[in-house]
Amino acid sequence: MANSIVALRAYRDGLHLIIRPHLSITEIEAAIQQEMSRMNRPLIGTSVQIDLKCPTLKEEEIAYLRSKLQDTYNLTVRSIESPDEQASPPIAAAPTTHAISQIADVQNSRDSEPSRVVPYTIRSGQTEDFPQGSLIIYGDVNSGGEVRAGGDIVVLGALRGNAHAGMNGRLSAVIIAMELVPLQLQIGNYVNRRPIDQKPRGYPEIARIGAEDIIIVEKFVKF
Amino acid sequence: MGKVIVVTSGKGGVGKTTSTANLGTALALLGKTVAVVDADVGLRNLDIVMGLESRIVYTSMDVIEKQCELSKALVKDRRVDGLMLLAASQKNNKDDMQPAQMKAICDKLRSTHDFVLVDSPAGIERGFNNASAGADEAIVVTTPDVSAIRDADRIIGLLQHARIEPINLVLNRFSPELVGNGSMMDQADVLDILNIDLLGIVPEDSGVITSTNRGIPLVYEDASPGSQAYMRIARRLTGQRIPIPDLEHKGLLTNIVNWFTRKR
Repeated sequence: MANSIVALRAYRDGLHLIIRPHLSITEIEAAIQQEMSRMNRPLIGTSVQIDLKCPTLKEEEIAYLRSKLQDTYNLTVRSIESPDEQASPPIAAAPTTHAISQIADVQNSRDSEPSRVVPYTIRSGQTEDFPQGSLIIYGDVNSGGEVRAGGDIVVLGALRGNAHAGMNGRLSAVIIAMELVPLQLQIGNYVNRRPIDQKPRGYPEIARIGAEDIIIVEKFVKF
Repeated sequence: MGKVIVVTSGKGGVGKTTSTANLGTALALLGKTVAVVDADVGLRNLDIVMGLESRIVYTSMDVIEKQCELSKALVKDRRVDGLMLLAASQKNNKDDMQPAQMKAICDKLRSTHDFVLVDSPAGIERGFNNASAGADEAIVVTTPDVSAIRDADRIIGLLQHARIEPINLVLNRFSPELVGNGSMMDQADVLDILNIDLLGIVPEDSGVITSTNRGIPLVYEDASPGSQAYMRIARRLTGQRIPIPDLEHKGLLTNIVNWFTRKR
């Protein structure tokens, strides 16, 4: 992800805006602007939780960010999670389902997990499982075939069968294929079915969990 | 030393038996010694398609049970030199045969024939395992529809797992008209999915029905497009380099007409 200051992530309980330790509010503001401009469509009315990992932020700065998100981007701030109880704003925080350590874990896991290279095509009736990490397929995954990975799935060919990334619950996992025409995609416990009359588009595509807790597919440009 | 080729498909009704009968006969017409073996125990058909059903006395099961010698169970096709049929038993079922027993029969036939073509039953269970047990190579027959292709894909995976190679593809019942109007998968799409070498394309030919009912393989008649396709495939099996004609494009006359009527 290009943005190292803020990140917009979809978790099971909704959208989270994660703000990482940084120096000034202006930098955070610019980073938010950059993150929002990456969205395909505006997130009007969507509720977000702010995960503050930036204890140096003053209370009025947090309030400023909150009003900025609501006024400029039309986002509803559901709650604000902060690592420091003192800096916590007087908003009733929802019970934390994602501890900070867990979020940090989610972000680091792609770097730390192993990957397996499969140098052949997965044909109908064949399965390839790799719960420990990511799978890279040098070939196709044909209709009736299945690949499942704890991390990401990268198919350097056509994905025509089923793929399940993040099978241990890592929702930041992605599925990338040179030709993405699957029967079913699964990331974590989210499932997406193939649309009727799907045709290959002629460019690589990436599937990930998008802002509204659905698996979205878009043109793959770069990681 | 000949080679044993299993003709298989996964899905039923795509033309395994028709292809076995025609390729076996075509190879014999080209001067090779050929044994065609029906591995569909309990549901035998190859004898009917070859027109030899009235002459079967012993079957492969009798050979396995040592009721007769292998040479005695082979039925000679009198219309062409060098063509023999080993029929399957109709009263047993597939579990009565072991893959090792089939392999032993194939090994014997390999030493006396240039080609041994084994007609596999549909499915991926015991019948398929028996049929492929003694095979050196495989021919996968498919029609250009998605269900047949998925089954062919499954069979290719199993053949690769059993280290039977090469695996060649025969695309059967191909209709250039349907491809032309976009309602049938074209050759490139099929090969893109299955990713094996194409041995030949057999066009849809209503003559197949008549020839099956009469028990006279199509290749005895020169004119039919199906017959010509099977002859070309047989020549490729003997090692000749015969190009695969481009069935998807229109004939010369149509091209000439198009050339004159095209917009400039």
